[in-house]
Amino acid sequence: MKIKSPTSMVPGIYLTLFFAYLFGPLIIMVITAFNSSNFPRVSPWECFTTDWFGKLVADDKLIEGLGNSLLIGFGVVVVAIPIGLAAAIMLSQVGPKLRASLYTIFIAPILVPGVVIGLSTLIFWDRVGTFFDAPYESFFYDGTFLTIFGQVTFIAAYSMLVFLSRIQRFDNTLTEAALDMGATPTQAFVKVLLPFMAPAIGSATVLAFLASLENYNTTVFTIVSSSTFTTVLSSKVRYGLDPSISAVAVIIISITLIGAIIYECRNRYHSKGWGMIIAERPVLKYATHPGSVAAILGLLAIGAVLFIQNYDSSACTAQILEDKRALQQKLMEQQQLETPKQSSPAPTTPTLGPLGNDATSTAPSSPFGGNAGSIFSPENLSGSSNATPAAPSTAPSSGGGGIFAPENLTGNGSD
Amino acid sequence: MRDLFYDLVRRNGMAVAIYLMLAVSLWVFVLIILPQLTMLDYSFRLNLPPGKIGGPEDIYTIDQYRYFFQGSGSSGGLNTLDISILFKTLLSAVFVTVFDLIICYPVAFILAKSSTGAKARLLVLALIVPYWINEILRAFAFRILFGSTGVINEVGMGLGLFESPVDFIREDVALYAGLAYAYILLMIFPLYNAIESLDRNQIEAAQDMGASWWQVHSKVVIPYAKPGIASGMTMVFMLTSGALAAPQILGGPSNLWFTQLVYQWFNSGGNWPRGSAYAMILLVVCIALVLLTMRIFKVSIGEIKR
Repeated sequence: MKIKSPTSMVPGIYLTLFFAYLFGPLIIMVITAFNSSNFPRVSPWECFTTDWFGKLVADDKLIEGLGNSLLIGFGVVVVAIPIGLAAAIMLSQVGPKLRASLYTIFIAPILVPGVVIGLSTLIFWDRVGTFFDAPYESFFYDGTFLTIFGQVTFIAAYSMLVFLSRIQRFDNTLTEAALDMGATPTQAFVKVLLPFMAPAIGSATVLAFLASLENYNTTVFTIVSSSTFTTVLSSKVRYGLDPSISAVAVIIISITLIGAIIYECRNRYHSKGWGMIIAERPVLKYATHPGSVAAILGLLAIGAVLFIQNYDSSACTAQILEDKRALQQKLMEQQQLETPKQSSPAPTTPTLGPLGNDATSTAPSSPFGGNAGSIFSPENLSGSSNATPAAPSTAPSSGGGGIFAPENLTGNGSD
Repeated sequence: MRDLFYDLVRRNGMAVAIYLMLAVSLWVFVLIILPQLTMLDYSFRLNLPPGKIGGPEDIYTIDQYRYFFQGSGSSGGLNTLDISILFKTLLSAVFVTVFDLIICYPVAFILAKSSTGAKARLLVLALIVPYWINEILRAFAFRILFGSTGVINEVGMGLGLFESPVDFIREDVALYAGLAYAYILLMIFPLYNAIESLDRNQIEAAQDMGASWWQVHSKVVIPYAKPGIASGMTMVFMLTSGALAAPQILGGPSNLWFTQLVYQWFNSGGNWPRGSAYAMILLVVCIALVLLTMRIFKVSIGEIKR
């Protein structure tokens, strides 16, 4: 089995392909977040830009949805964790026959389509509200409450499974020992069973919160007129693809990766083999402490945010526009050459026409900053094709007032 | 139920027993059973304006279900559009499920049997990380990948595989790839759990007795992992057929997923009873299909776990 033969490489190749399927789409999405093209794509690559992040922060709807999502996530955790814990404990204490039927009921919400859960929650609370003659502003019709109820229905089942896998390893003689030593059953529960479950409560909380944050199928029904991060995102995606959605993905992927790295470091730090290695090397011990790893990653994240805030790609994007314009002009000239007779009545338009476009589209973000307008000062009008390269040398540094000077308006009329 | 309560009191004390009973009954009755029953009730009603609800016109009817089978024409013609959407959805969900099983089985086997310690833990982490990323964003990634100017088309055209961009969205390729991607984890973990508990000696014994690579899997590993396979397939199938986000984002303009019909009746159609009826149809058909498959492969529902 251990000999390196061609067949022994098959698992490795397969795993590589599999993880390419798993990570490829995400990597491509991340790349598109930094391309200045208005449509999320990798090629043609235009400019490296961080502007899409800025657009994101300015998106009030998304920020509002995020706030609602965090609130709902918190509510779901508060309700679902006690329910999941109770269900797991109950399952561990009943006889095998009742256990099987209870288990089937408890697991059902995971298998029922999210759409059905969302729908039934909405209808049920609507009915209850009608029954009590509740006003329309009451919580029976409130998107936040309905979403919490709808999500708890199945997230409680997720957390129950987490608790169940922990409680299976619980040694019942511990409780018996506590009872023998005079503890009441309640004391035994609080002092023995609950502390044993504590790590599972932590992981179930994280799982429940994430599941709540990313849920769409149920939420889209129960949220009514309000919105969550996911529903805003989905309407953004459906009404037009835009690289700022990729920017959202970059942020979420970064947070996930940081979490995963810290988690892995913590595991490794507490593993036995590593404990022996670092016992004698204090520097290594501090360097690999999960806290210091988290600090390093945090600094990196802050650095990335600062970089994104300060990176200026306007020079490059202006250049791209310039190139596009040049290409367009070339095409126009080509067309002109192919049909020379038709264009002869107006010989001045081919040279001046594109220049007019230029003045409106690229001047504000020109690479030459405040002097942008003076590119189009009268001297440059003579040779339109090489106007831009000539600008720095010929244009006086007199500010941008010249764009709309009367001389420039003659003949191009595109304003 | 009273016996259950007394038993819990004896084991945990009164306060804890009340908490256990209260939490579980709230969940089961208020959150699971009553809403489902209300929806069932709703699906047998007419779509009335709020003023008429509870009035003489508010009667039980099978109108909404009849609409699914016959459409608006009462002359007995079949509502082929909606029925074909249901079949297409189920068929596609089966296809996605089988595809997931095929690609995940080797991964689960390699993870469970060939890698150990830190490496296995890292691989598992690598599996989970994409799953933490929002469902909408995952669908969006596939949209970028398969778009007419997407990477797949660019590479395909660069290699000369096809001359003009292929419309993967319209062909539903993007949808299948995205759906299969979305639920990979739900397939791998049950498989992994099942295969991991298989004693390695059994595989080696089979190999020693001359079993080929294929026989080891078909005669030893797969029969042993059957409960895991069943639970993975059940979950992927149910979630795929109930998916809404991926079909909305990746679905072709003319191809609807059945959940989108439910969504339409509810939101733009404003017909809640009909939406409920359609949701019930989806639920019942899916459960029936799963139970039937389990009966055929002789697996019980109690063996399903995450």
